[in-house]
Amino acid sequence: MARATGHPPNLHERKVNVMNSGSAKLQRTVFIASFIVPTLLFFSVFTIYPTIKALYFSFFDWSGMSQTKDFIGFDNYIEMFKDPIIWRAIGNDYFLVLGKIIGIMALATFFAVALTRFNFKLAGFFRSIFFIPNVISVVVIGVLWNFIYNPQIGFLNSFLSLFTKDQVTITWLGFADHTIWMLLPPAIWAGIGFYMLLLIAAIQNIPESYYEAASLEGSGQWRQFWTITLPLIWEQMKVSILNIMMTTLNGSFVIVWIMTEGGPDNSTQVMGTYLYQMAFRQYHFGFASAIGVLILVLSLLTTVVLQRLMRQETVELG
Amino acid sequence: MVLKNKLAMGIAATMLVLPLAACGSNNETTNNQPANNAETKTNEGANNAANTGGETADAGTKLTGDFEIQYFVGGYGDAWWKKVIADFQAANPELNIKALGGPKINEQNKPRWIAGTPPDFVYIDGPELNDRQLVEDGQLEDLTEWIQTATNVDGDKIIDILAQAPQQYDSKIYNIPLVLNSWGIFWDKALFAEKGWTEPTDYQSFLDVSEKIKAAGITPFIHTGKYPYYINGAFLFPAIVSANNNDYTVLQDMAANKVEAYESPAVMTALNKIVELRDKGFIDKGSVQINHTDSQMLFLQHKDAFIANGLWLPNEMSKDVPQGFQFGFIPSVGQDNGGKIVANTSTATVAIAKNAKNKDAAKAFLQFIFSKAQASQWAELSGAPSNIKGDISASNAPSHVKDAAKYLTDANTVVIPTITYNADVDKAMQDASAALAAGTIEPADWVKRVTDAVKKAAK
Repeated sequence: MARATGHPPNLHERKVNVMNSGSAKLQRTVFIASFIVPTLLFFSVFTIYPTIKALYFSFFDWSGMSQTKDFIGFDNYIEMFKDPIIWRAIGNDYFLVLGKIIGIMALATFFAVALTRFNFKLAGFFRSIFFIPNVISVVVIGVLWNFIYNPQIGFLNSFLSLFTKDQVTITWLGFADHTIWMLLPPAIWAGIGFYMLLLIAAIQNIPESYYEAASLEGSGQWRQFWTITLPLIWEQMKVSILNIMMTTLNGSFVIVWIMTEGGPDNSTQVMGTYLYQMAFRQYHFGFASAIGVLILVLSLLTTVVLQRLMRQETVELG
Repeated sequence: MVLKNKLAMGIAATMLVLPLAACGSNNETTNNQPANNAETKTNEGANNAANTGGETADAGTKLTGDFEIQYFVGGYGDAWWKKVIADFQAANPELNIKALGGPKINEQNKPRWIAGTPPDFVYIDGPELNDRQLVEDGQLEDLTEWIQTATNVDGDKIIDILAQAPQQYDSKIYNIPLVLNSWGIFWDKALFAEKGWTEPTDYQSFLDVSEKIKAAGITPFIHTGKYPYYINGAFLFPAIVSANNNDYTVLQDMAANKVEAYESPAVMTALNKIVELRDKGFIDKGSVQINHTDSQMLFLQHKDAFIANGLWLPNEMSKDVPQGFQFGFIPSVGQDNGGKIVANTSTATVAIAKNAKNKDAAKAFLQFIFSKAQASQWAELSGAPSNIKGDISASNAPSHVKDAAKYLTDANTVVIPTITYNADVDKAMQDASAALAAGTIEPADWVKRVTDAVKKAAK
């Protein structure tokens, strides 16, 4: 206003301006704080505090029930790295990460493309069908697949028996090694729906004209997929891959615990189940806390590494 | 002024009476309500005229103050706990009993144990509560001296009437077994009669009949491979005792982390019996991956003839037992011809917290529950034999409980008293037994693995 009149603002006007901007600033701060502070508070109480506490406990020899804890420095970590089961658990975890990334991404992308690019009538129906496993609790999925894998009355053996003379009695969850492979199908089956929806949304954002132009130039569906669809949904795929990795490292506990409890003979142990086993079944809470810290560190490291690996120029829509 | 005073006294008197009246009804209803997770106050007031039925357990001294009882509610239910607590309350009207019961009570009360303010009395059963660990953590009251002279409300010496003795940790006693259940091998008597198979009485007859069963196209033996403590409890441990001339101290030495006990020939003999069953193809190959419910279903469906399990099985599967199915049971099959039967007990114990605030009440409660009257009530309400010697044939207990009690009190049965192994060693034994039964390791590997775990745990 002062400028509009062509005069430099006098002292009074300047004061009013400052006051106005001051209260606006305050309002803005209060507004932002009202969103951030509660979130930060909850985040601190439910994430930061337990993390620090776990880190703290990992330096103690503590059963989880006694009143006293013995400070033992890094002994839990040293013992952890000497423990062959933890190495097997880490291996199994990364096996699941890799298997799920490949399995889920391949199938989710396939279904997403199939349900968007090929206009067929039942697309909506199939979209719902593929999403159903996401609505079911992982616990139920575990129990369901346990029935599928049951050696005597399971679906899989009954199905295979249709093609053989003798009854098939394979113990799908009882191999001495590689039983972890059997946990991959349920884990993949349970995960496809969500990522499929994410990719469908991404594909639907791609303007139809790109495909029309490509068709006019004579490129087929395959070519269109590689040169148009894939580059334009790469950002969403990256997010999906990171998310699969993180949820697997932190959350494969549930499906493993329901289906095998880490057995037989620790062959399907993952870090989460071993943590639980050590904390609540074998009463080594300090050691279990050290495993918790290991999961955190590995998750962070893997995120950084994966992000680097996937760093590729993102193609953005003009 | 006088009127005012009278009015005030009248109000005060009404306030005093009202809660008491409420308590009276509360006390009755408590027994029929599910106590799940809830803190049930049996009696808040004192001196309730209606509650003068019994005598104070510890004759002479009146029990007062708060008294907290923690009990896990699992397979044995909580009917007995509610009843016994109500009875104890009636006998001790001035005591303010708080019953902390429920299927999740162990987890819920954990912070209190860690903080040093635990309940006074604890029933050790269910997940996340392990007697050996509680002892090692210094959470339980040393009852060694007390139990030597303690008598129950009937005047009997408690230690003398226990069917299985309490476990000793470095010659000290901290917890007393309340239940007397047994592991063992089951079959269907009706199926055996129909096929003309002989019921097993020892190892050789077990092998012989298994051969016939296999020839008839049925898998002889199933165990719960997902939880290998079933095969350990029902087959391996009794077989070790049989091979050790019926001397169960070998198991106690194992629990005390003595390496040489695990390396004894008795352990090897017993392990070789599992190998023999495995190599003859008697063990259901599906065992390795299945849980208890699945294995029990397969057994009830006659897919397998024998199952390694415990005496709670008929109760647990009561809804699924087919018509005509008749449970046959023997505590052990590892013994030689003419050898004694070995019953490996499965139990749950009771103890007093070291930091209990009302130890007098807790001890009086122990004296109260280890009586013949409460024992037969336990058998009746929980469906499992109590750890008190005595004839329960006249009680209302279910018939399989009476049969089991008969077996376990027979002079010709070797009863292994309750033994809790170190949790790490126990896990190592379970993993190794599952692997042994599945054929991935041999007995020498079993011993190597377990002794490694023992050495590590003993550090």
